[in-house]
Amino acid sequence: MNGWLLAATVGLAGGLGAALWGVATGPLRRRVVAQNLSTALACPSLLLLSQAYNRPSYVDLGLVLALLGPVGTLVFARLLADELAEDPPRAWGLTWTVAGLGAAAVTALCVATGPSRAMVKLLVIGALLISGNAIASRALSGGFRGVRGG
Amino acid sequence: MADAVIVVALLLVAASATVAVATRDPMRQALVLSVLGVVLAVLFTVLQAPDVGLSQLAVCSALTPLLLMLAVRKVRRRGREREGER
Repeated sequence: MNGWLLAATVGLAGGLGAALWGVATGPLRRRVVAQNLSTALACPSLLLLSQAYNRPSYVDLGLVLALLGPVGTLVFARLLADELAEDPPRAWGLTWTVAGLGAAAVTALCVATGPSRAMVKLLVIGALLISGNAIASRALSGGFRGVRGG
Repeated sequence: MADAVIVVALLLVAASATVAVATRDPMRQALVLSVLGVVLAVLFTVLQAPDVGLSQLAVCSALTPLLLMLAVRKVRRRGREREGER
């Protein structure tokens, strides 16, 4: 029994299932937050899968998702700005919980990898994931109102 | 154990695709589509095709929602202008 695979399965089923439920129901503000959290939850699961299959090259998927996930959320934050302006979504508790889960997964993977170039890459992905998630959440809650254009 | 991940990923893809079809408002549909893209990338990874997953992630997480939202915005703006002319 592979513990990494089990952790990835639980993360996928619980995290992405909950994100899917959030994006399928409820008001627009809840859906946007759920979309943001879905990328933040899928990235650690992909990293865990790469460790489970013992293929370090699979880590690239996590890297691409950590880079492009927040970009997608920023697209929504920019184009839905008028709809979200009256009732901006604030989900800082959820955001930091998910960021903590990602940090825990990255830390566990770093311990398993040991000090090497692969560990530096994992740390970079973790930093990208958490900072991108925080920036996307801030943009959704209207933190960058001043930068808004026409 | 390896099968369990595949089953979970397949179920997630089926559920999110159904939701994407059942949602009527195009803007909300774009949100569901971007989640569907992430789930599909996970499915491709689980089926040992990470290269396909990479391109899926690149296209579906940012590009498809951007195109959809821009198109919806343009159509709505044009509709409003037509109403203004009448």
